[in-house]
Amino acid sequence: MKINNLNVGFNKKEVLKKINLDITAKKVTAFIGPSGCGKTTLIRCLNRMHEMTQGAYVKGDIFLDNTNIYDQKVNPITVKRRIGMVFQKPNPFPTMSIFDNVASGLKLNGVKDKALIQRIVKESLEGAALWEEVKNELNQPGISLSGGQQQRLCIARSLAMHPEVLLMDEPTSALDPIASAKIEDLIHELKKYLTIVIVTHNMQQAARVSDYTAFMYLGELIEFGKTKEIFENPKKELTERYLSGKFG
Amino acid sequence: MTKLLDLGIIRIHDLLKNMMSLAEITYVDAIEAYKKDDIIPKSSYKNSEKLRMLQEEITELATELIARYQPVATDLRFIKSSLEISYNISRFGRYSFDIVDLLQESGPLIDCDKSSVLEMSKTVMNIISICFNSILTQDTKKLEELYELENKVDIQYKKFLRDIIQNQKSLKNNFERRDSINCSLTSLLILRYLERISDHACSIADSVNYIKTGKSSPRL
Repeated sequence: MKINNLNVGFNKKEVLKKINLDITAKKVTAFIGPSGCGKTTLIRCLNRMHEMTQGAYVKGDIFLDNTNIYDQKVNPITVKRRIGMVFQKPNPFPTMSIFDNVASGLKLNGVKDKALIQRIVKESLEGAALWEEVKNELNQPGISLSGGQQQRLCIARSLAMHPEVLLMDEPTSALDPIASAKIEDLIHELKKYLTIVIVTHNMQQAARVSDYTAFMYLGELIEFGKTKEIFENPKKELTERYLSGKFG
Repeated sequence: MTKLLDLGIIRIHDLLKNMMSLAEITYVDAIEAYKKDDIIPKSSYKNSEKLRMLQEEITELATELIARYQPVATDLRFIKSSLEISYNISRFGRYSFDIVDLLQESGPLIDCDKSSVLEMSKTVMNIISICFNSILTQDTKKLEELYELENKVDIQYKKFLRDIIQNQKSLKNNFERRDSINCSLTSLLILRYLERISDHACSIADSVNYIKTGKSSPRL
């Protein structure tokens, strides 16, 4: 993905200023920065979720391959199909079974072939490292699972649509350390065939899971580079001060 | 409010200062013992051991800080480098002790020409001073000078090695050889220890450069 000169805001308030960033395919890119720096807004722009908020505006371009996802001819639904998203709090559909949660996207998109749906559900649950834990209870409600399992169910639900990019907005902030570790292991597996962008407040998590890190502050992209470089030898003093806990 | 990580880093700084002070004393004592030929410092072994213990303490503390606080950026670079710096300083102590140990074995060296060793020892003392000063001030300005001096030490060492071989070949009989071998061997070993100390000082200089710039040795 390529972000070109992105300016984003709500009504008259500018939240993101002149963001330029290349997101490398099949790598994990982490957005870090203090609360209110704009990292969640930026990730929500990557699959056109930001514009769903009243008063929101987006100026600039975001390319997925060679397609500008903000081009007027591009259908936002197609964008969301290609760019999946997982949120801070696991949000399985409360009235649906585990199976139906994963199959929901397929059914909404008109897939009726039951054998195909079953195969994709199994593959997606396997891809989310959940299959072994739920294979005998697929008809149980999704919300009967633990928090960590629910988050992986949401990841499976995204995977079922075969996205090219997976956006994760603080995916482990509501989880205990064991469940968080499973999600981190999963991110490592998923990047073999997916581009992943993760927003996290946990700098150690960014250091562990990401290949590239973008540090944001007050709506600006301060520094971007390989995670090892950013954490070991940041170029900007502001990045150094934030990472070292001097502010934020 | 002081951060817990900062307290640990201050402690490492203090331990490194102790190590530097002790290493310098141990080195100076060893060279004085060689120069004056009659004072064998008893404290050398103890100092060398103490330096090793201090190095162990820094290793323990650095490992704990990394495990507990996951330091980043300058903090990470300093803590990582403290492991290497403390090891290298401990080697200063060990080689200084080796010099004293050698003097005990060799016996009096009154009739030996000590000029080469004493000349090199001054250069090495200069290297040690620059090296320790760079640790204390985290200043990389004089590191280039340190690398040049180390290069000079290498050249001196190799020259002396060639001279000794040449000298031994030119001696007329076994009596002459027997008389000169003690001087030559002692000088050669001490020069070797001095060369090693200056090499470790270069590794320290690399670490200081890494702390400051995040880049590996400028020599590479």
